[in-house]
Amino acid sequence: MTASDTRAAPQGDSLSTAPVVAVRDAHRDYRMGQEVVRALRGVSLEIAPGDYVAIVGPSGCGKSTLLNLLGVVDRPTEGQVLIQGRDVGAMRDREATSFRLRNIGFVFQRFYLMAMLSARENVELPMAEAGMSAAARIARARELLDYVGLGARERHRPGQLSGGEQQRVAIARALANRPGLLLADEPTGELDAHTGAEIIGLFRRLNEDGTTVVVVTHDGELAAAARRTIHMRDGQIIPPT
Amino acid sequence: MVSHRVALIAATCTLLATAAVIASAQTTSRVPAAVAARSIAIDERFAEDEHLKVGDRVVISGDPGAAATGSGDTAVIAAITKQGTDPSEIARDEYRVRLHLTDLQRLTGAADRVDRFAIRTAGGAAADSVRASINAAAFGFHAYRSIDVAVGTSRTFQVVSRFHHAIALITIVASGIFLLCILLLRVEERRRDIAALRLIGISRRSVVWSVVLEAALISVVGSALGTGIGWLGSLLINWHYRGVYRTPLAFALVTPNIVVAAVVLAIGLGVGAGFVAAMRLVRTPPLTLFGR
Repeated sequence: MTASDTRAAPQGDSLSTAPVVAVRDAHRDYRMGQEVVRALRGVSLEIAPGDYVAIVGPSGCGKSTLLNLLGVVDRPTEGQVLIQGRDVGAMRDREATSFRLRNIGFVFQRFYLMAMLSARENVELPMAEAGMSAAARIARARELLDYVGLGARERHRPGQLSGGEQQRVAIARALANRPGLLLADEPTGELDAHTGAEIIGLFRRLNEDGTTVVVVTHDGELAAAARRTIHMRDGQIIPPT
Repeated sequence: MVSHRVALIAATCTLLATAAVIASAQTTSRVPAAVAARSIAIDERFAEDEHLKVGDRVVISGDPGAAATGSGDTAVIAAITKQGTDPSEIARDEYRVRLHLTDLQRLTGAADRVDRFAIRTAGGAAADSVRASINAAAFGFHAYRSIDVAVGTSRTFQVVSRFHHAIALITIVASGIFLLCILLLRVEERRRDIAALRLIGISRRSVVWSVVLEAALISVVGSALGTGIGWLGSLLINWHYRGVYRTPLAFALVTPNIVVAAVVLAIGLGVGAGFVAAMRLVRTPPLTLFGR
């Protein structure tokens, strides 16, 4: 598979230097009873196409909240979040779902593959939702499974795969619709060191092939593999010293 | 009567004997050949228990000691009758013997006494006018349509049938609630899976559709299995009770209507429960489903 197979589908501004992600003074408050929890306090950042960013910090520092904003799963209380030039904070649920389907790939700590579907069918799922023809999505799913090294296991169900293999299927699924941005939340959190290292290598290869990657992690090795690391504490980004 | 073209079946054929007569029927193999044999019909249980067959000669008498004294009338078994599929006959364990009316009258010593007899009309429309004629003319008799007699004798079974319906209804309601709970639990177990699906961009409609489809599939498979188990159960029940009561009656039935009702009910409940469960989840924000 070539680099163009994994990165985002060519778009009008994909060759420009316009950031894939632009967060401007984003705040996110949660009300818990009478108390207001300020999860993000004026976060601003930009991520260029082809970048590989690791967001690190202690538990409760706001990194998952930031990832949720980047993933159009949550909205900022204040500020602006632009993904591929679109202000996603104002999107309604249906629009946000469709936007996620076509523009953002998610990789979760616990994989969340559908147990009754085979590896290939799991990868096909987002493509089927996007309305791709069966032949095209089967071909694309096989291509992606080959890319993550599971071409021979396309018929296996998640229960027949190891943790590392399941995560690789999840990564292939995340790439299915050629998203402009790949988000990963603790992708090595459930894996042993050896398997984690394989996944780190896969993320690095994905990025080298052109995919913009943002990972939230506690894993030092995964963070070290990124081109750029963003440190957070108390809902804010710590400026590099 | 003649104008209505009726025939007295009892007069030309047989009349059911009374229990007293049946109890006194004794078998013998020492009947003098010179005696002119009368013909009778016995039911198959009697034949089986006493090892009788068509052509055997027996002594019939109203006196229980007739066989020992050699008195009574000799009769030839001309036919062995099968027990009818009448539920009211099940609990009766006495034997039945059918005799010609004249023989029965001789046996009982009551030549002019008949408790019941049946009349078959040539056409269904004639039954009411025949009944009216008899009731108007025959003192001491009352004529009924066979359907009225059947309804009268089956009232107990109607009550039992209503009990069965009530039990079935309770079972269905309880099963429905159980199925709903199971499906709700099964869908609830997938909170995180569904949250993940929503995050990767699968629409609410697709999630609901997939859950409903799965529920329908489970319902179809479940109802097919249930029907199969029910059918095997009915075979077992019928085999057992037909043996116990020695009757051809069917005690348990799985009819096409029952199968259709079971499948429709199962799919209806399954799809309904799946839809309710799926709607509950897709209305919940994915992050809440993730427990964040």
